[in-house]
Amino acid sequence: MKKMSKTARSNLITYGIVILAYVGCEIWMRFGNMSSLMKGLLVPLCVYAILAVSLNLTVGILGELSLGHAGFMCVGAFASAAFTKCMEQAIPVPTVRFIIAVLIGVVCAGICGILVGIPVLRLRGDYLAIVTLAFGEIIKNLVNAIYLGVDSNGFHLSMKSMLALNMEADGMVIINGAQGITGAPSDSNFTLGIIMLLITLFIVLNLINSRAGRAIMAIRDNRIAAESIGINITKYKIMAFSISAAMAGAAGVLYAHNLTTLTALPKNFGYNMSITILVFVVLGGIGSIRGSMISAVILTMLPEMLRSLDEYRMLIYAIVLIAAMILTWSPKAIELRERYSPLKLLRRKEKEVQ
Amino acid sequence: MSMLEVKNLGISFGGLRAVDDFNLTIEKGELYGLIGPNGAGKTTVFNMLTGVYKPTDGKILLDGEDVTGKRTIELNKEGIARTFQNIRLFSDLSVLDNVKVALHNQKEYTYSTLTGILRLPRYYRLEKEMDARAMELLEVFGLDKEADYKASNLPYGKQRELEIARAMATNPKLLLLDEPAAGMNPNETQSLMNTIRFVRDKFDMTILLIEHDMKLVSGICERLTVLNFGQILASGDTAEVLKDPKVITAYLGE
Repeated sequence: MKKMSKTARSNLITYGIVILAYVGCEIWMRFGNMSSLMKGLLVPLCVYAILAVSLNLTVGILGELSLGHAGFMCVGAFASAAFTKCMEQAIPVPTVRFIIAVLIGVVCAGICGILVGIPVLRLRGDYLAIVTLAFGEIIKNLVNAIYLGVDSNGFHLSMKSMLALNMEADGMVIINGAQGITGAPSDSNFTLGIIMLLITLFIVLNLINSRAGRAIMAIRDNRIAAESIGINITKYKIMAFSISAAMAGAAGVLYAHNLTTLTALPKNFGYNMSITILVFVVLGGIGSIRGSMISAVILTMLPEMLRSLDEYRMLIYAIVLIAAMILTWSPKAIELRERYSPLKLLRRKEKEVQ
Repeated sequence: MSMLEVKNLGISFGGLRAVDDFNLTIEKGELYGLIGPNGAGKTTVFNMLTGVYKPTDGKILLDGEDVTGKRTIELNKEGIARTFQNIRLFSDLSVLDNVKVALHNQKEYTYSTLTGILRLPRYYRLEKEMDARAMELLEVFGLDKEADYKASNLPYGKQRELEIARAMATNPKLLLLDEPAAGMNPNETQSLMNTIRFVRDKFDMTILLIEHDMKLVSGICERLTVLNFGQILASGDTAEVLKDPKVITAYLGE
C-alpha cells in the first residue's frame, strides 16, 4: 500500500497531541496532586483552543480578519445557558442537556455568522474586521440590556428592567440584564471539552482537505483567479465564516456551562477577548491549526503559572509574546528550525544507515 | 458554426471608449492571435469575454449560444477559461491542488461539503479520481514531478504552464491566454510555443491569445487581429496581416 499522505499523518499527530494531553491530565488528576487552580483551568483551556482553531479558519484559511469572535462566543454562551436554565427540570440528564445546549449555541452563533457574512463578505477589503468589531460590542451590550423571564403564560422579554417583565408569582427570571444568567447548572466537564475540541479539529482539518476547503484557500490566495475557474466566491466565503462563527458559539457553550454565573463583561466577551484569540492564531501560525491550538493552551496557562510573580507577570507575558513572534515568523528562525527540526534529523540518520 | 463569434463589441468607461466595434470569429480548433500596442484594449476584450467587464454594446456568441453579459463563473461553466497577464496562481497551494481546485465544477468530481467533512467513501473515491485526472494534466505540461511543490516555488516559466494546466482543468471549449510569453527567455518561449501547439492538437482546443512576442505570434497563430486605440486595424492570415503597412507603422515600427 502507498504510504499515508503527508496531511493525513499531520492530522493524526494533531489528534494524538489532544488525546495524549487528555490522558496525561486525567492521570495527573487521579494519581497526582493537581492544584485546584490547574483543575479550574482545564475547561477554559479547551474553550480557548476551540476558539483559536475556529478563528484560524477565518483568518488563516479564508484569509479574512475577524475582530468579533468573542461576539459569536457570547451568542452561543447566552443562547445555550438560557436553554439549560429553562430545561433544568425537564431534562434531568446533564450530558443530554449539554449536547442539546451545544446544538442550540452552534446554530444561534452560526446564524449570526451568516447574517453578518451575507452583506459584508460580498465586499472586498477589510470590511469584515470593522463590522465584526462592531458586532462583538453590540452583542455584548445587547445581552447586558435584555431581561427574559418565563412563567405559566410563556416567555416575557423586556429591554428596561426586571419589573417590566410583569410576570406571575411563579415566574423565573432567565436573563437578568447586566447580572446575566445565574444558577444554571454547570453541565460541562473536561472530558466533554476535549470531545468538543476533537470534533472541532475533525471538522476544520477535514474541511481544509476537501473540495470546499480547496475552493476557500483558492479564494484566499487569488480571488480573481478563483472566480475565473468558476468558484462561487460569496458562497464559500460565507460557508467558511459561518462555520467558524458556529464553532466559536460551541466554545461559548462550553464556557457558559463551566460557570454558575454568566455575565457579559468586557473581559470575557469584549474586544479584548477577540484580540486575545487573534493573538493565539497569529503566534501559533496563521493557517496552522495545530499551532494555534498549542499557542492557545500555552498563552492561557502562562499568566496563571506566573501568578507568584505578581505585577511582573504581564511583563513576562509580553516578553513571551514578542519572543514567540520572532521564533514563529522571522526568516532566520524559520531557517534554523528547518535545519534542526527533529523530523529532518531523524530522516538524515535513516539515510546514513541505508 | 464558429466556436466564438463576437459582433460589434464595445465598452465605455465614463467618457472613454476603450473598445469600439470589435468583431471576431474563431473556428473550432483554431489558434488565433490578438495583438496591438500597449493600451490598445486587448486585455479589455479578454475581460469582456470572461465577464469581468460587462460590454456596453455588442454580442458574444460561444458555440452559437449568446453569452453576453454573463458573470465570470457562469462563463467559465459555459466553457471559457483564461490565464492572466500577471500570473495568478494559488500560491500557497501545491501544484497538484492548483489543478484539483479547477476541477471544482466538473460534475463527475463533485461531492458535497458534508461528504468531505465526514469522509464518506464517496470522498475517497472522488479524491482519488481527481488526483489521477490532475496528474494526467500535469504530465501533459511536464509538471508531474513538481506536483508536491508549493506553486510559488516553481520557476517562472513553469508557473505560466501551470496556469494553462489549471485553465485546461475546467474543461473549456475556448482557452484565452493573456500574454503567455511575457517575461520569458527565448528557451522558455520556445518550450511554451510547443506546449500551446500540443494543447491545441491533443485536446482539439480553440485558443485565442494576446502576445507581444512576434516570434511566438508568427510561429503559432494561424490568424490575427490587430487592435489599435480600441479599434480593429487589420485582421486575417498572420503572414498577410504582419505585412500590412498600417500594422507595421502602428505596431511594429518602421
